[in-house]
Amino acid sequence: MPLNMNRKIFSTSIAMGLALLAKPAALRACAVCFGDTNDPINAGFNASVLFLMATPYMVMTLIAGGLFWAYRRARKQDEQAESSEPVAPLAWNQEESGR
Amino acid sequence: MAQSSTARKLDDAPQRAVLRPTFGGGNPPRPPVRPNAPFANNAWLAVLMFLGAEGMFFAGLIGAYLVFRIGSQVWPPPFQPRLPTALTAANTMILLASAVTMRLGLRANRRGDRPLLIRLLSWTAVAGAVFLLIQGYEWLQLLHFGLTVSSSVYGGLFYTIIGFHAAHVFGALIWLVVVWLKARRGRYTKESYVGLQICAMYWTFVVALWPLLYGLVYLY
Repeated sequence: MPLNMNRKIFSTSIAMGLALLAKPAALRACAVCFGDTNDPINAGFNASVLFLMATPYMVMTLIAGGLFWAYRRARKQDEQAESSEPVAPLAWNQEESGR
Repeated sequence: MAQSSTARKLDDAPQRAVLRPTFGGGNPPRPPVRPNAPFANNAWLAVLMFLGAEGMFFAGLIGAYLVFRIGSQVWPPPFQPRLPTALTAANTMILLASAVTMRLGLRANRRGDRPLLIRLLSWTAVAGAVFLLIQGYEWLQLLHFGLTVSSSVYGGLFYTIIGFHAAHVFGALIWLVVVWLKARRGRYTKESYVGLQICAMYWTFVVALWPLLYGLVYLY
């Protein structure tokens, strides 16, 4: 990196650090917190967020379960098909020839 | 082990009717019955993924409902009409019965019983249509009593969630009618029934979703 760029990054970082030190109240601000902390809407949001966090895992579990079930069914069908395969002896035998 | 008959079985699929030589001193190793065949049909896999996406869609709507339902001190809000829980409970039973007939139809097809399959598909479509008609009747009553999309958050949520589900049932019904017509023409057999299977998957999804929405929107 060129020296000018390094100096710019350094001086910007120093300025930001000093600004944060000068305004400690801003450090306690939360980007999404608003309103009364006892408001029941907070409980609604909590429940919704937890539900939506859990849903992808539930969906993925169902999909994986479906794939596993399909695999097991295909294996079972293969085993049944193998056990019912016809076998043709090549050797001549009297019963089949009719003579 | 001696075989009772060496005749080829007539109902064997061509790729499985491979005659293997025996030499009297033990069998040679068997080739795989379905070499390189996938265990799941492509259409089945695609519908499975689609149902996952649909599930996430309804999860978003349910999440929005939970915010307002749990966040309100009084629910339903005052001066809003009450939902007809008893009639909808009966409607729920009709929809659940349609899922049973659909599953029985799938089983009938696996046995090769085409007339029974067609009959069961007809019953499934009739049950789905009755469900939608009763829902429509309920909505007309609610609109008459003043519950609209813009009357309150309650109305907006109700029509959005239940409306999207009804739209899904309607789409599934159209699909089912197409499958029914194909079944009448003998399109589905014991060996080839993926179209029927994926329609049954989608139908089962919209039916299984309904009790959850009913419990959340009507009862909770």
